[in-house]
Amino acid sequence: MKGMNFFLILITLGMPLLTHAAEVKLTSSTQYLWYQDLLAVDREKSIQDFAQYLRVNVTNMDKEGKINFYAYGRAIKELWTDHDEDFQGRLYYFYLDYRDAFNEHLDLRAGRTFVNEAAVSGTIDGIHMDLKNLGPMGITFFGGRNVIFADKTETGTRGDGLIGMSVYLDTIKNTHVEVSYGRKYCEADGDSLLARENVGLDFSTTPISGMVNFYARLKYDTISESFNEMLFGAKVTPLQDLTLRGEYYESYPTFDTSSLYSVFAVDQYKEQSISAEYQLTSKYRISVKYAREDFSGNIGNSDSAIANVYDVGFLARPIKDLTINATYEIRSGYTDGLSGIRLYGEYKISKMALMAGIDYDDFRRYDSRDGNAEKYWAGVNYEFSKIITVSVKVEDDINFNYNNSYKGFVAININY
Amino acid sequence: MINNKAFKIILLSTALLLLVVCLSFARTDHREFKDVALSDCPVCHSSVGVIANHGDFFVKEHRLLAQKAGNNCADCHQQSFCLDCHKGGGIEPDLKKSLSTKGEYMPKTHRSDFISIHSIKAKDNPQNCYRCHESSFCQDCHTKIRNKGSMKIKSHRPAGTSQIYNWNSDHASEARRNLQSCESCHPDADVCIQCHSSGKVNPHPRNWKSIMNKYKNDSKGRTCRKCHITY
Repeated sequence: MKGMNFFLILITLGMPLLTHAAEVKLTSSTQYLWYQDLLAVDREKSIQDFAQYLRVNVTNMDKEGKINFYAYGRAIKELWTDHDEDFQGRLYYFYLDYRDAFNEHLDLRAGRTFVNEAAVSGTIDGIHMDLKNLGPMGITFFGGRNVIFADKTETGTRGDGLIGMSVYLDTIKNTHVEVSYGRKYCEADGDSLLARENVGLDFSTTPISGMVNFYARLKYDTISESFNEMLFGAKVTPLQDLTLRGEYYESYPTFDTSSLYSVFAVDQYKEQSISAEYQLTSKYRISVKYAREDFSGNIGNSDSAIANVYDVGFLARPIKDLTINATYEIRSGYTDGLSGIRLYGEYKISKMALMAGIDYDDFRRYDSRDGNAEKYWAGVNYEFSKIITVSVKVEDDINFNYNNSYKGFVAININY
Repeated sequence: MINNKAFKIILLSTALLLLVVCLSFARTDHREFKDVALSDCPVCHSSVGVIANHGDFFVKEHRLLAQKAGNNCADCHQQSFCLDCHKGGGIEPDLKKSLSTKGEYMPKTHRSDFISIHSIKAKDNPQNCYRCHESSFCQDCHTKIRNKGSMKIKSHRPAGTSQIYNWNSDHASEARRNLQSCESCHPDADVCIQCHSSGKVNPHPRNWKSIMNKYKNDSKGRTCRKCHITY
């Protein structure tokens, strides 16, 4: 509930900012949800939640339309429960956005906002600045309290923090180079500890006009002195309707310094993949992908541990307003197997959109469980007016935990 | 693992690239194309030297674009678009999304009964889970499982019909391959300490001597003291 109180206080404080004829857009979704909790004492019992989502966009707060305000949050409560539980809240973001300030040299976000870069990402209560158009380069800075969402509420403390910066260069046409740096702090026994420190490197270039794109992404953990992630890839479009891609990826697990697991030796994970996507006609598209996953590591393990994963996808729009999507995945090798199909369709009739789908997975978990996981679902979106729409979804899951697990939601959505 | 020298070379190369200032390139503002159908993107992109995206594999590849500074995602998407998948939001109910066992919306990547297959999907690049979930997310469920024996983890299984477990022979290789899964059930690593704190079996990586002081300083000795009382 702390989050919701914070949300309401900030909305109240933000109102005086509306001195200009700003545009206000409200989006609300009032939802009733039902599901079953596998870890509850009575796992068969249907749990019902009431949820209220609210998003507020206030734009054009100044004459030039550079100052905007954005907020998004949720209040949720379990209905008809034995335990006396109040509403729980999450404030996803709440920030003032100042774009193109100082002759288009600064983008500023202040408040609770989502930050995302190669070195570190997360939601912060703080500031994000993008100093841009400095010749061909730009610099970003951000820092603040790390907001951690868990179990329908927030768990981050004062000692949790994120800071970071990046320097990027868009010089040669269609080439982007960026070096980023980030730190994550966590709280332990009242102390704020440096949990992680990463350096990221991004590179992307399209040297042959519209035909070939090379890219790389590196994430280096300075504490363990290892590359947490490395990705090298190439994307090629030899024909306008055909896209080919090849990637090499490896990762090395790293942990917060406060975790004992951070001092253990681990092995690299490596993956090579190729994929193709082809637009057969304007109505049909097909995609295929193969990935070779290597868990062997390079230290200490003499036995090989390889898995092969194949994906095939098909998208069809045979007639106007009808969309059908089907994917098939098969995985074999170390140490589990999976063979699954996923199918869904959508048909629009006037103000109504009908959707239905099936997931069917046949899985084998090494020396553990095997069986089928099935999901059957259907839903409808109905547009009563430009302002009000209603969404309803029902779903039945059949798996080793449940013969039938019913879940779904009813949502009344308002866009004003 | 690539060593420190390689890292320095990469940094120096990047610095060199930063010095190569050529033609200034202005990014296209996409706000006016916000409502254009994705199938119409190639109309412009095929002639301007930028390969169109948002294809069948965009769920996986979007991270590379979204994490670039100065990206233009915000020209069409609000932050809620990111958070509705990454942080369980649901302001725009998507019929293709399912609810988790806690009643939270799950991204579309979480197919069928995700609890049944999550250990398999987590193997397909173990880092993927941690882009959205804290390690405590795994512990919230795994530490509550009443009959852990029913999970039948590979190296926890008895060898044949005897009372001897496969633990000694298998656990090292399995742990090194997926140590994050160990943390799911043993968040404090208390079971590891039982043997490894004795000093008989060194669990540290090969470059430990060069990095040990960083762990000692950054954790203010807390992590070290779990095994080494004198730190």
